[in-house]
Amino acid sequence: MTAPNVATRDEWVAARKELLEREKELTRRSDELARKRRELPWVRIEKEYVFETEQGTKTLAELFDGRTQLLVYHFMFGPKYSAGCPTCSSIADTFDGVVAHLNHHDVTMLAISRAPLERLLAYKRRMGWRFPWASSYGGDFNFDFGVSFTSEQQRTGGEYNFRSFPTMQPIIEADAGPVAEQAVATGTDPAEYMMEAPGMSAFALMGEDVYHTYSAYARGLDVLMGYYQWLDRAPAGRNEGAGLWIRRHDEYE
Amino acid sequence: MTNHKVATREEWLAARRELLERENEHAERSEELARQRQELPWVPVEKDYSFATDEGTKTLAELFDGRSQLLAYNIMFGPSYSGACPGCSSLADHLDGALVHLNHRDVTLLCFSRAPLEKLQAYKRRMGWTFPWVSTYASDFAFDFELALSEKQIAGVEEIQTMIKEPPDWLEEWADAVGTELESGLAENPAWIAFALEDGVVYHTYTRAAPDRDFVVPYFMQLLDRTPKGRVDEFRATRHDEYEGAAR
Repeated sequence: MTAPNVATRDEWVAARKELLEREKELTRRSDELARKRRELPWVRIEKEYVFETEQGTKTLAELFDGRTQLLVYHFMFGPKYSAGCPTCSSIADTFDGVVAHLNHHDVTMLAISRAPLERLLAYKRRMGWRFPWASSYGGDFNFDFGVSFTSEQQRTGGEYNFRSFPTMQPIIEADAGPVAEQAVATGTDPAEYMMEAPGMSAFALMGEDVYHTYSAYARGLDVLMGYYQWLDRAPAGRNEGAGLWIRRHDEYE
Repeated sequence: MTNHKVATREEWLAARRELLERENEHAERSEELARQRQELPWVPVEKDYSFATDEGTKTLAELFDGRSQLLAYNIMFGPSYSGACPGCSSLADHLDGALVHLNHRDVTLLCFSRAPLEKLQAYKRRMGWTFPWVSTYASDFAFDFELALSEKQIAGVEEIQTMIKEPPDWLEEWADAVGTELESGLAENPAWIAFALEDGVVYHTYTRAAPDRDFVVPYFMQLLDRTPKGRVDEFRATRHDEYEGAAR
């Protein structure tokens, strides 16, 4: 931490009140954004998706589990990963505790990944999580919702976070950096690791029809990293200069 | 939720891209605010406080547990309560998952409450929590840092007096849930508070008290901001073991 700017309590209160006005202004903007999210049109899902779950094969409508809203965390765990992405794992640590509250607010929250179900369930046991986890192995779901990419898209370009990207080759071929580290951590190589990307999607069920209502990727997922909001209030902030620091909760020294 | 506008995937994408621009602007403002928070001055804590913890009596500096930053949430659990506030409890439900990550970022995360330690320990066992929970019972700490109001202070706050005299239904239910009268129930302030420890000196750096829809709320409220129906204001969280059919 840098040398503190030390003040009297009165000076602090004056500075804090000024900052509070800005915090309140940001909250008003958050509310406005939440309204705009709800005003997005809905898109009816025409395709039949099936998922492997702990209760057997289910359709997208069946994943709602009797509720009318579904929140999906697109957890990076590709078919060739030996373990889930560490950052996605820290996100799952955070939302695991709140699933009960969402469930009692007409929202089913679960994770969906492309690895076969047995691998997801083994990892879930290791991590001690309770949320439901469905496998989209062998289906189009992840590709259609922008969180999995083909080898061809990696070479010649595709779209992520509502923007097109030209090619992933330079990132995949880099010897060092976060992608190389995460590939090692997930027991795969950079190309296989980068076939998956993180995201969240929301769906609504009306009668028999499922509608896609919202998706977010990249920085739009900060909200799922509960600890970031807390670090933002700690004296040293996110303090991220030294690169990746998040590990699986059972892998910290 | 009925009669929502239905569109093609292309129309949705166009609307979503426009919204993304606003979300990105918002993220930038958030980062700017985070920077401004780091720039707040620090106030040295001159008074000696002692707290009851699972490991015995500790000073404020000792609560840092070897780290240089302390971030605490003040759970509404006054000395006369029989159980903690359900809303605070739902916020606390997601602290455990983040605890280890914050601890490895040089941040000690804990909760404060004014009820005696044994009451906190019993409730913590019931909820299945693991984060440290420290009692500020019989200390000036909560009053000095505006985490609690004295009887005299309460008498002087008109809004609280109105709430006590003419409580809305939800507030009466809340008083039942925490097992106390509103006069003492409303003395506790739900708030986040941060301290830094440098060269043996503890500094107070930040406080954020309710009402606030962004930070002094359980983070699942922000997830609800992404669902089709959104956050419904009338929704009040229940303790996780008190929902109908709750198994955990």
